[in-house]
Order: sequence, then structure tokens, then C-alpha cells
Amino acid sequence: MSFLQPFLLAALPLMALPILIHLINRNRHRSVQWGAMMFLVNANRMNKGMARLRYFLIMLLRMAAVGAIIFAASRPLISGNLGGFEMGKPDATLILLDRSASMETLDLQSGESKRSTALKKLSELLSKRRYGSQLVLIDSASNEVQSIESPEALLDLPMTKPTATSANIPTMLERGLAYLKANEAGRADVWICSDLNENDWDPESGRWSAIRDEFSKMKGIQHFLLSYADLPQGNLSIRVTKVKRRQTGNRAELILDVLLKGELGQENSNNVSRRVPVEFEINKVRSVVEMKLSADGASLLGHRIPIDVSLRSGWGSVRLPGDSNPLDNKFYFVFSEPPVRKAVIVTDDSKTGEAFRLNLAIPMESGLKHDADVVSSSDAEGLDWENTALIVWQASLPEGLIAEELERFVDSGRVVMFFPPGQNKGGQIFDSSWGKWQTRGKEDQRKLSWWRGDADLLANVGSGDALPLNELRIYRYCSLEKSEDGKAGTPLAKLSNDQPLLMRAATDRGGVYFCSTLPTAQFSSLERDAVSFYVMLQRAITIGSRSMAAASQRDANVGTREEFTQYESVAPVKDAPTVSEWGIHAGVYRDGDHWIAINRSLVEDNSLVATVTTIDQLFDGLSYQRIDDAVGNTSSLASEVWRIFLILMALALILEAVLCLPEKKVKQHQWNNFSSTDRTA
Amino acid sequence: MPKEASSRHSFIDAKVLARLSGLGLHARTPMLGNISGHHRSPIRGSSLEFAQYRKYVPGDDLRRMDWRAWGRSDRFYIKEFEADTNLRLCLIVDTSGSLGFTVDGVSKIDRMKSLAGTLAYLASCQGDAVGLYCAGKDFHTEIRPKRSAVHLRLILDKLEFMKAKGETGLAEALHKAAENISQRALVVIVSDLFIEPRILSSCFQHLRFRKHDVSVFHLLDQCEVDFDFDRPTRFVDLEGGEAIMADPSLIGKQYQKAITGYISDLGTVMRDAAVDYHRVNLQDPVGEILARFLLGRKPKKKGANQR
Repeated sequence: MSFLQPFLLAALPLMALPILIHLINRNRHRSVQWGAMMFLVNANRMNKGMARLRYFLIMLLRMAAVGAIIFAASRPLISGNLGGFEMGKPDATLILLDRSASMETLDLQSGESKRSTALKKLSELLSKRRYGSQLVLIDSASNEVQSIESPEALLDLPMTKPTATSANIPTMLERGLAYLKANEAGRADVWICSDLNENDWDPESGRWSAIRDEFSKMKGIQHFLLSYADLPQGNLSIRVTKVKRRQTGNRAELILDVLLKGELGQENSNNVSRRVPVEFEINKVRSVVEMKLSADGASLLGHRIPIDVSLRSGWGSVRLPGDSNPLDNKFYFVFSEPPVRKAVIVTDDSKTGEAFRLNLAIPMESGLKHDADVVSSSDAEGLDWENTALIVWQASLPEGLIAEELERFVDSGRVVMFFPPGQNKGGQIFDSSWGKWQTRGKEDQRKLSWWRGDADLLANVGSGDALPLNELRIYRYCSLEKSEDGKAGTPLAKLSNDQPLLMRAATDRGGVYFCSTLPTAQFSSLERDAVSFYVMLQRAITIGSRSMAAASQRDANVGTREEFTQYESVAPVKDAPTVSEWGIHAGVYRDGDHWIAINRSLVEDNSLVATVTTIDQLFDGLSYQRIDDAVGNTSSLASEVWRIFLILMALALILEAVLCLPEKKVKQHQWNNFSSTDRTA
Repeated sequence: MPKEASSRHSFIDAKVLARLSGLGLHARTPMLGNISGHHRSPIRGSSLEFAQYRKYVPGDDLRRMDWRAWGRSDRFYIKEFEADTNLRLCLIVDTSGSLGFTVDGVSKIDRMKSLAGTLAYLASCQGDAVGLYCAGKDFHTEIRPKRSAVHLRLILDKLEFMKAKGETGLAEALHKAAENISQRALVVIVSDLFIEPRILSSCFQHLRFRKHDVSVFHLLDQCEVDFDFDRPTRFVDLEGGEAIMADPSLIGKQYQKAITGYISDLGTVMRDAAVDYHRVNLQDPVGEILARFLLGRKPKKKGANQR
């Protein structure tokens, strides 16, 4: 319990007032000359037990009444949700606000979202109780520490408005930790408002142990988790997974892949036959398609929408009818003419180079333009870095300027595939280097033991069938060696001796792949069994060409904000975000022929909620209180309870009055004389 | 005489005396006086009141023989008559400090003086002997009963100068009086009786054993029973004991319980000892109290009983 006027508690000694009055009253007595003292002595002797108890009760009730008045005047706050958690006065209060798209789940009756509910409750609570000299907000969109003047300002600040970003709770806690350390805040309350989205919390991250250790070293830090883990009922989210402009003669069209997902728990019979109207809008032209929703959601692949031939690039949106989360009902997309998919093969072996060129020059589908050049390693310096989507490097690993240029090439979102040279001359790039050539003699040793079929270059085809990699034979391979302090790569395929055949290096953008064999017949059957080889190369060039396209899709992220300095906001027209918030809200931005569509990330549609047990374990050993709230819940985290004290006071006074009531007077002994005349007679 | 008495002794009211003079003071039991008076005697005498016949025994005075009875029955009978005698009125008054209790200007000792003085005057007027015994512990006076007017004045003077003081010695005084009063007497006790009833019981039984006719005027005011106080009060003991600071709201119930038990026990004691008991409220007029007392003692006429 805390108090809004705690200084009034200094008046608590006034509870002794009834005793004082009693003592004064005793001293104000009058004196009476009394003869019947024997009855007084007897009465005093009998005045024990219930009578004395009654008197003490009266005195106690009077003291309780005075105490209740003082408590009521101190405006006590009781926090039902906080249970018995002691809420002392903090020096600082940190609010870690999850502004991710999933926090916009609405209570359809009140119209309040999880975020707004949490903000209102926090604002109300903090305005009622002391929050210390520092009130700080760390929002998930910017992860920046911002001071706030008052709790009421929480409701109006732009930093507390909804965004399409995802949250990263460990990062926010680390920021909070750094702030507390830097400011030596001392006693602090850390309020976390979140919907326990598993992606936001990342419970498997190794950072949690470090966060726990650091917080446990600090004294007086209390963590409060305002949790909104309830899943919205009947919420649908829509996403365009692929958009492509295709022109055939004088006709142009957009080909879209649309994914409709329902929240978990929607596998009920009501949704099996549910049809959902999906509205497409391109160049202010709208069309509606009904999608049949199954338990797993729905997908619309290759949906064609005719467009004007002259519309070389542009943007559009796809929208669902309103439901409990408005932020995942709309998805923006941009399109442009596909760029020329140019690949450069750097090799000193013309035969190998030709094998690569043949597989890269043939486009996977009509309308795409492919270009593949073969250059020797000595001519690598003169590569057309700007217009190349994929570099296949089958030579000694480059060093110096070329290596730096390759890193910049990858950072720009494009792809490099390294194949081992015939003669290894050493060298290291992306923390990897080639070792010695190994020969696989026996038939069973030449097969692949494992490959990753769910993603990346060797993923299964759209129908779900795996690539025919089990037919692939590896006769010779070159071992791949990692530097000791380098980042571990991700193997995509392994040989029977557990050596990687295809490895993806860890990079922030683009792609770097190391394949430990060559396609020619001396080394493997890649060229002969060309399907897997062709698909692998085509997927690599597709990834590389994405960043070259004039139109690109991005996930909402504060990191993209700096890229928008030259852009202008195109959509949404209504409620367009301010310039400082571009990149964290869903929308379309344009810089000449370049278009960028910003949408929520895929993980926001996967509403996997971490269990409370898992979350509780993350705060194991810390002073931590979880408050399970529900969206739209209007009950306060803390409420004033002075009325209760007034009622208690009234009850105490009534009881006191009852105990003080004089007992019903019995007319005492009428005069009756015991005349014994008759008896004597 | 009444006019003179009222002028000298303020506690005697001449109007009361005038009103009560016609009632007469009677004993409930036969008295053994030494002269002729208005009261029955256990000894047969020569009054006009027929008492009984008894058989003649040799030596009886032949003048008392009822010859008519001999003529009718041929047997000798002696005709006996009641003897009328005077009585001894022994006034035992309590002069302890508690008699100083005053209500609306009337104290218990004033009331005691009025009752005792008036009774003494009435008894003396009808030729009875009056004695006075004081029951105060520090102030013990014993005036044996006599019939003279001078003796009455002595008693009234004693009463006049009596003051309530010290602890009570009533129990000892009663026992002593029971022993010292040699013949049957009318013993009138005027006191507040703030003594344990079981102690009083032995005193009254002692008096009864000595064949005294015992009457009690119990001075107990209604306010002492009701205990009507509304705030803490310091009760100062009139008999010099330790003062008690008490909150009536706390002990009122217990006080009333104690006094109720006391009154109940006292009633039992009075009935067992055949005491003529009269409780006196300080606000009651003395004339009424004594009239009730005198009327209660008036002998019933035989003719009235037969009817």
C-alpha cells in the first residue's frame, strides 16, 4: 500500500488521542463524599473480565476510528494486481514499451489496444504514486532512452504510438541497464509492457543470463511485467510474399503471392469454410478476391492483376476487412521491371567457367533477362560491381582491394559463391579458407548425408518435393577451414563424413556461400545432374538481384530510417507518419524510380506467445512481479481506497456507540419494608 | 413540652409530634416494666383486661377466686387479669462517618436525630423509659433507660451534639446492648447498616435471644442504590478510608449488582430475626416514616379479629 499524501501519516500519533482524553477526563473528576464504600470496593473487585474487555474494546475502537481518518486523509493506494508487492518510492522509473504491431490487438468493445491499455494503466498508476525523480521511456521501435516529464504525457507522446516494428526485449533491458548504471539511479522500478511474443523476448538468447547477472548486481531494482498474453480471437493477417511485374507484348500484369494467416487457435469448424474478401489496390484501382480460409490459413499464389503497360513501377496494397488487429490487415507492396540478372564467373578454368555460364545464362522464367560473363582472376579488378547480382569465384581466394570490394558487394545485398580453385594458393575471406583436396573412393562415401530442405539454396520446390540431391555424387572435394575467431557459418549440405559441401557464411546482408566441390565430372555429378546445380545457381542470382531492383520490400525497423533522407512518403496518405518516424511505420516511400515498401516483419504474424513460466524463468533471481492483464480491462493497477477507511471508521464509531450504550435501567428496589410484625405475633 | 422541645432541639418537629401523639408507641411483645403502663406484661396483674382462668392451688389469694364459676362447676378457679406495664425504649444510633452522607442538604445523621429524638419524646410522653446507645467507634455513649423529663432532655442534648465521625462500631454496639439491657425492651436501631449482612444477622439473633423487640430504621437513600453518575468520580470515604477513583460507566453495573445482593441478603436477615425493618429515604418526611412505624405496631383489637 502506498499513499498520495504520505506526510499526513505523521499524524498517526493522534491515535493516542482517546487515551489522552481518557487520562485528562480522569484528572477532571469531581469528588463526592460517599458512604456506601463497601459496594464500590466490591464493584471494583468485580470489574474484571468482560467489563474490562469491553472498556478496552471501546478504547481500541476510538483509536481505530482516529487512525482510519488519518489513513483516509493520506489517500491510500491499494494495488490489487500488484498483490502484496511492496512498492516503495523509487528514485527512477523505467518504462519499456513494446510498440510492435502485435501490441495493437484491440478489444472490440472498448476500442483499446494492448499498448493503449498498458499505457493508460501505467499513466494512471504512476500519476497516483511516486515514480521518482527520473521517468524514462524506452520504446521498442527506437530502443532509445527518453526522459518524460510526467506520466500523463505517456498517452500523447509520439514515442508511444503504434508501429509496424518488432520488439527486442533483451535489447531494451540492456539499454535500461546501461541507463541505470550511467545515472546511478539507485532504487528503480522497471516496467515492461509486452504481449509476450516469443520473437520479441527471444528466451533462448544467451543475453538473458548476462542481463540477469547485471541486474542482480544492482540493488533495489524491481521489475514489473505488465503482460497481455491473451490471443486475439478471429484475427487474420495478410502478407504479400512475392510481387512481380510481367510484360508480354502490349500487356502488363502483376503476379502476386498472397498469404493469409489466422491466429493460432482458429482451427475450429467455424473457420473451415470461411471466405474472406481481400481487397487489392494498385494505382487507385481496386479489386476484391475472396480467399477460402482453412485451419492453416490461406494462400493465393500467382494472382494476376492487369496493369497499364506504361506503369513500369509503382505500389499497391492488399487489405482485409477489419478485425481485432488493424495493423496486420493491410500490406503494402511495390513493383518495378525486373533488373537484368547479371552474373560474373571468375575462374581460370574455361571448362568450369562454361559449366557455370550455361546454368546462369538461362532464365528460369520468361520475361527475365539473364547475362553471364566469364573472366579470369587477373581481370577481377575490372568487374562491373554495380550491375552484377552474383559473382561465382572459382579461383584462389582474393585478398587486398578485391577482397574489400567483395565485402562491399555483399553488404549491398548481393551474393558471392566461392568454389575451390584447382590449385589452392592460400588466402582467407569471410573467416574461411580452402584446405586440401580430398578424394571420395567408395560409392557410399560420395553421397550427401544431409542437406537443408526448408530454406535457402537447396530448399524444396514449391510443390514440397525435395531437390534430387540424393542422386548427386561427390568424387573430390576441398576441405573448408574456418578461422578460430571467425563467425560460424551455416551448413546447407553435408557429406557422409560430416564435412560441409555447401556452407553459408554469416553476413548481415546479401549472401556468401562456399561450395567445396566443382561441377565438372572429375569432381562431382553437379553438371551431369544439372537440376540441383541449376536451381542452386538460379536461387543465388535471384537473391542477389533483389537488392538491385528498383522496388524493394523492407521490414519496419528503426535501422532503415537513415536511408529515407532522399525519399518522399507515398502511402499512407491519411495519418502519414512524420519524417522522423519513416521506416518504423508501414508505408511506401519513393525516390525517383526507386520504391520501398515498409511492412511489419513476418514474425509479427506468427503469434507465438512465450509461456509465462518461460518468461518468469528469465527473471529468476531478480525482484520481479508479473501482472497478467487483458486488453480493454478497465480496472486500475492501483486504486484509492480512502472510502474503505471511512467505512471502517464509521463501523468503529458505530461499534463504539453500541458498546457505550447504557444498559437498560431496571428500577432499583422499590421501598419494601420487611416488617416482621405478623411473624412475631 | 412539644413547643419547648422544638425550640431547643431543631431535629424535632413540633408538628410531627402533634400528629403522632395520638398514635402511641406499642411494643410487639410483652414488656417487663416496673410500673404500670400501656403495654402488655407477661405477668398477670390487676388491670380490667381479663387474661385467663386457672385452677386454684393452695396459697392463692382467695380474693381472686371466681365464685360464680365455683357455683356453676363446683370447682375452684382463679380469675387472672392482664398486667399493664411500661416499656424500655433503647435507641441504638449509628454515628459513624458514613452518616454524614448528605442529599439535597439532608444528611443521614440529621435524619437519624429526627427519628431517634421524636421516638424518644413520644415514648417519654407516654411514661416509658428511654435510653440511648451510640454505635460510633470513637464515640460510644450509653445512657440507660429512665422515665424522667430530665433524662429525656439529657438524651435530646446528646443527640443534638452528635456528629458523624469515624468507622462504624454497630456490630459491637448491638452485641453489647443485647448483653447490657437486662430486661425486655423495645430496641430501635437507626443506622445505614453498611456492614456485611451475615455479621448483622448474629447481632439481631443475639437481641432476639434476649427477648427484645427489635426495630430498624435503615438509612439508605435512593441515589446510593441508583448510582447515577455520568463521568469519572473520586469517591471520598466518609469513614476516613481510602478514596476510590472510579468510572461509573465501568463499574456501575457491578455496583448495582453488589448493592442488590446486599439488599436481598439484608432482607433475609431481617425476616429470619423477626426485625421490624424500615428503610428510610432521606427525602421522605419524618412524620410519614414514624406514622408508618407506629401504625404497624398498633395492637389489633380482639373484637376486630373475631369479626
